[in-house]
Amino acid sequence: MEKKLTMDKVAEFVLILAISAVISLIGNTINTITDGNPDTFVSILDGLPGMLILFAIAIVSTLLNAVFPKIPTIIYITFIGIILGMPYSPTGAYVAEQVNKIGLLPSVTPVLAYAGVSMGKDWLEFKKIGWRGIVVAIFVMIGTYVGSALIAQIILSAQGII
Amino acid sequence: MENTKNILKNWPFHLVICVVVLLCEAVNTISIPVSTGSIMFLPMLFAMVVSLILYLTKPVKIVKKEQSVLSSKFVIIAIGIFLAKVAVTSGTQLPQVLAAGPALILQEFGNLGTIILALPFALLLGFKREAVGMTHSICREPNVGYIASKYGLDSPEGRGVMTVYVVGTLVGTIFMGIMASALGATGLLHPYALAMACGVGSGSMMAASSASLVSAFPEMAEQITAYAGTSNVLSNADGIVMTVFIGLPMCNFLYRKLEPLFSRKKKA
Repeated sequence: MEKKLTMDKVAEFVLILAISAVISLIGNTINTITDGNPDTFVSILDGLPGMLILFAIAIVSTLLNAVFPKIPTIIYITFIGIILGMPYSPTGAYVAEQVNKIGLLPSVTPVLAYAGVSMGKDWLEFKKIGWRGIVVAIFVMIGTYVGSALIAQIILSAQGII
Repeated sequence: MENTKNILKNWPFHLVICVVVLLCEAVNTISIPVSTGSIMFLPMLFAMVVSLILYLTKPVKIVKKEQSVLSSKFVIIAIGIFLAKVAVTSGTQLPQVLAAGPALILQEFGNLGTIILALPFALLLGFKREAVGMTHSICREPNVGYIASKYGLDSPEGRGVMTVYVVGTLVGTIFMGIMASALGATGLLHPYALAMACGVGSGSMMAASSASLVSAFPEMAEQITAYAGTSNVLSNADGIVMTVFIGLPMCNFLYRKLEPLFSRKKKA
């Protein structure tokens, strides 16, 4: 099922991604200054091509999801990102080199800054949950995380990868 | 162009976010050494806490309910930049990801660990049918949707799933970030195994947990990113199937077996 895309929606997606990309790009440069290793410094100009590639992947995938909502955005992003970055692809070497200049951490810091503000409106609801609910939720996260890590550990050792 | 105008007229708010991010990046990662490794506190986690405090204590007048609603949109869409970074890294590591395929697929069954560990705890704390909603899965959006359609959100199961969903949304990111590096510091499990487990929850949870592993084990950064990202994609693809056919039936089965034990203990 296709959905109609309004100009307003497209402009909104572009703006949101552009604002976040700009903050990330500056944050990336600052992060490479304060990480204490002068060899890894990436200026804003050096990081620009990599950030533009990430921006392009994100906007194309977001628009694809807006038109064909059956497939989640993350699937489009992963598919396009792997195709562009894989070693068998003609773009592989260039894309990998440029995207490598953008750190994993700075690429998501703005998202979590917005997430903090977004949580604010749910805070009252959170305060209503008693300590028992919070304890169970923590155990749910530990159980899932440790369960997955244990299975991965066993299979990876069996395969001889680790 | 109403949505677009709304974003543009909030430019002072985006400036506040920008300042928060740049300050947190300037502080950079704080690592607390423990005997076997380090526990990482990342700029992204400071940024989240600082902006939450900005909202709750209102020292800056422009961070209000309206901005909070707008921020939710930013979270959903802007995480695409991070996911694109993860996807490209997965592409560069494609041979390694394919080699680790069996582990990546089978670790998806790890969410059953939730039921085994958390269901008895929930019963011990006195929860009844709420416990099934709480512990049948890690309770992200698709699971909430499924429980809502099966039991309704006003049911005990619905209240249970919402409790874990809300706690997960608000403290899950910070908790997963610290848990990943704390487990990494114990040295009991290989960073690759921990990386695959980073994909179990939401995008922000994956971001925080994989990033703290990357800071703790920088020499394995690319593999960690690729494994965490692929595992998150797999969870997105099969998570609901896992819940419908295995997680919820198994949780209900265990509930029937365990619940009488706990209620008897209470009466005695």
